[in-house]
Amino acid sequence: MAAGPAVDMKAIEGVLGNHPRGATDALVHLLQDIQEAVNYLPEEAIRAAADHLEVPLGKVYAVATFYKAFSLKPRGKTIVKVCLGTTCHIRGAPVVVEDFQHGLGIGPGETTSDMKYTLEVVNCVGACALAPVVIAGEKYLADVKPGTILKRLSKGK
Amino acid sequence: MTQILIDNRKFNAEEGETILEVARRNQIDIPTLCHHEALEAVGACRLCTVEITGEDWNGSTKLVSACLYPVEEGLIVQTRSEGVLRLRQTVLDLLMARCPESTVIRDLATQHGQVTEYQQFTDGSKCIMCYLCVRACAKLGCHAISAVNRGTLKEVAPPFHEHAESCVGCGTCATICPTGHIEMVDTAETRTIWKREFEFVTCKVCGEPLITKAYRDYALENRRLPNDYYTVCSACKKSELSGHFARLSL
Repeated sequence: MAAGPAVDMKAIEGVLGNHPRGATDALVHLLQDIQEAVNYLPEEAIRAAADHLEVPLGKVYAVATFYKAFSLKPRGKTIVKVCLGTTCHIRGAPVVVEDFQHGLGIGPGETTSDMKYTLEVVNCVGACALAPVVIAGEKYLADVKPGTILKRLSKGK
Repeated sequence: MTQILIDNRKFNAEEGETILEVARRNQIDIPTLCHHEALEAVGACRLCTVEITGEDWNGSTKLVSACLYPVEEGLIVQTRSEGVLRLRQTVLDLLMARCPESTVIRDLATQHGQVTEYQQFTDGSKCIMCYLCVRACAKLGCHAISAVNRGTLKEVAPPFHEHAESCVGCGTCATICPTGHIEMVDTAETRTIWKREFEFVTCKVCGEPLITKAYRDYALENRRLPNDYYTVCSACKKSELSGHFARLSL
């Protein structure tokens, strides 16, 4: 695996402590907690989780790679989701994706080198009235006009 | 004791047996790929699909996988009805599209006739995602490989796609694979599998490779076996015993 930024083992150990040893059925829950704490699932964390829950490493790796919600690559501080549902699509969402490519040099699934943003594209977030919509972290940005997204991201609205 | 009909012939079956078990015991051919008698059936390949009905079903029928369906009193099974054969062809058409490189799949498809030619995968993989290898590895207690990723990217691989750490080189995955997807290279001294190289223990009589050192250590640790269990190969053990018995009979 490519060497990422230093892994915060203390945070991971803290999360492990919240789950009893050998609690095999807590696997997904534990992985979610780890991801929340360190923003992705580093290899060390997956090994530690397997060890702690006494689940075979292969099984933990299978679960971690199965769910789209888990990322094995380091992700940016803000995860930006551009909706590419039908409504957003016809109202110009593909241009918003291009804005990221031109302005920050990242495509879908990629992260800026300063670890600030990770770009993801999603299919319909159920907010078609706001189209084209971008979700930055927890914040919904509505009616994103071409060329405006990066400015709006830095302002946070 | 239950009685069922398979292809208009009456057979006795035990409670809890599957259609496939009864059929195999009575030499009725039902093709399978993902089934192995030592492992729990999962119904992944769908090749064993048969048509069932019952006397009080008012003529309605159902397609079920024989490896999973437990027999019940009065069950009527057809293994070569029109519906079964058509479905088998469809399953094989899809398998052919998935792994055209596999001779096993190609032979089966030729045998059962191809209906539709779907666009073929070109990645050269022979894996049909039956997970026999993963299930066998888990049953043996190693858990060295698992099914990773999802959708079209799903594949059998060791953790982190690196060399399989907990693998002992027993070779069961490669032997059990119905399509020969898993690569295992044996020389006189070593076995290479899952990006790892294992040294062989050789038979002290004939010198043939017997078992990998890692597997011998694993087996001696986890199973109740005498310490010298893996020193002589089974062929040499047999000839040694047969000589012994020959002397006895004199």
